[in-house]
Amino acid sequence: MEKLLDTVLRISKILNGIAAAALTLMIATTVVDVFLRAVGRPVVGAYEIVGLICGPLVIGFAVPLSSWNKNHVSMDVLLAKLARGNRDVLNVTTRIICILLFGFIGYNLFSVGNEFRTAGEVSQTLHIPFYWVTYGVGVCCFIECIVFICDIIKIWREEQ
Amino acid sequence: MTGVLAGIVGLFVLLLLFATGIELGFAMAAVGFVGVTCLVSFHSAVNVLGRDMWEVFSAYGYTVFPLFILMGQIGFSAGIAVRLFDAAHKFVGHIPGGLAIATVMGAAGFKSICGSAAATSATFASVAIPEMERYGYDRKLSTGIVASVGTLGNLIPPSVFLIVFGILTEQSVGKLFLAGIIPGLITAFFFILIIYGWARLSPALAPRAEKSTWKQRRASIPEVLWVGFIFLLVVGGIMTGFFTPTEAGGIGTFAVIVLAVVKRDLTFKKYSKSLREALGTACMLLMLIAGSTVLGHFIAVTNIPQIAADWIVGLPLNRYLIMFFICLIYELGGSFIDDLAFMVMATPIFYPAVLKLGFDPIWFGMVIAVTVMIGVVIPPVAICVFVVQNISKVPIGTIYKGVCPFLISLVLIGILLFIFPQIALWLPSVLMK
Repeated sequence: MEKLLDTVLRISKILNGIAAAALTLMIATTVVDVFLRAVGRPVVGAYEIVGLICGPLVIGFAVPLSSWNKNHVSMDVLLAKLARGNRDVLNVTTRIICILLFGFIGYNLFSVGNEFRTAGEVSQTLHIPFYWVTYGVGVCCFIECIVFICDIIKIWREEQ
Repeated sequence: MTGVLAGIVGLFVLLLLFATGIELGFAMAAVGFVGVTCLVSFHSAVNVLGRDMWEVFSAYGYTVFPLFILMGQIGFSAGIAVRLFDAAHKFVGHIPGGLAIATVMGAAGFKSICGSAAATSATFASVAIPEMERYGYDRKLSTGIVASVGTLGNLIPPSVFLIVFGILTEQSVGKLFLAGIIPGLITAFFFILIIYGWARLSPALAPRAEKSTWKQRRASIPEVLWVGFIFLLVVGGIMTGFFTPTEAGGIGTFAVIVLAVVKRDLTFKKYSKSLREALGTACMLLMLIAGSTVLGHFIAVTNIPQIAADWIVGLPLNRYLIMFFICLIYELGGSFIDDLAFMVMATPIFYPAVLKLGFDPIWFGMVIAVTVMIGVVIPPVAICVFVVQNISKVPIGTIYKGVCPFLISLVLIGILLFIFPQIALWLPSVLMK
């Protein structure tokens, strides 16, 4: 069990590292574009690199570690007042809702990616196919589901 | 089930879900998904869910958030806040309440590179409170002002709150930034007046610090100038139309990195830490927006925004009274769930009514920003107070007592905005025609 938790955390950190690299690339692209635009030679396709490639990588790939670290806003004022057993039941229920939600999101992102791939959809200026980014974010959603399973394991282990 | 009834049931279920401790963004997406399933079909709901997520993640406009959040994080890691506080301390530390006044001035300066209220409070809780304690400041005043200065983050650009509002309502982020400057500065000025008056009435509350020499003061000026330059670059670039907000975020972050590297304040380790923190916050924010987008699709199917707008406009009340009640709803809603989350959820519902009532959308943004500023320092969910309590370990009741006098400023600026909308609208009307 420990090994599973460690592996999921490690994968989440690797994905977060990719998101961090994409954020750095986003800064570099916008800065170079603005400077070169000032001398009349903008970076061709900067808009696409930032929005279509970096944007989904930055947010989508950071989702699993954000959930692992409990970065998302939630209201735990009422939850804290419940008895331990009831709180655990409620926590497991909400984790299951989240697993279903991200399962559906991941599944549909793969469908969207398939549509992009079969239609040969590419970015307008650089003609970069971006279905792989959609697949990538879809994979992150499935890893997010595993993060929620890990949450349930953690709750179960605390109960023991 | 009719659309409206489904919408009302959906919103009720959403509030119940919030109480279970589920992440707010996920709860909104889940209710939106189930709602579309009930009113349209399961197939459409799955489609809406995936496409909305993809559209939020891949929208160029939303890339502005991680950039501005990173800019503030790097400013924090590189110790820019400490030096701004230090500079203000040298100029005003010797007057009654001087260190608290320096906190307001430092926070207003730091706010020009950091877009988050909680981050500003967190920064100054670790910087200013220990310094004020060293000089024997009363904890009510020291913690109260630090919790309150965080609220300036909603008005003084580059405010993450105003960017979210701008995107939700399709208003110019540049105009919103300009509109926030004067109300933000007036609020900071009110804070300073209150500190000065309080310290004059009870000198033991805020003992004077030693007076700095002019040489020491001059030495602290370059730091302020650098931050001022970055602020002008970011806001000026957006205002003149040379940058998009995303580009301004990129350029601003780059400028802060350069400043920190030149001053040898930024190591690779600190940069990595800033990236991690910024990604966590940006991800939280974007998940809220993605969740509200899915919920928004469900609410749109129910027709609630149009019906609510018609009903509100038809009320036999003065339109300013109606606006007051709308603010009250934001205040109450924001008091029980996170203020930003409530704004994201409620704005699409109330915005059509606000337009029908003939209010200026930019002015509405400012009024809601001030409303939310009050929400982040009053119970039960007072994020800035919680942050200060967490760092300073001062009892929460003491912090609330310290916040009370500064609440007067926030209420006053709200009233002033109602009476003189030009406080917010003049600058954008002059500089962005």
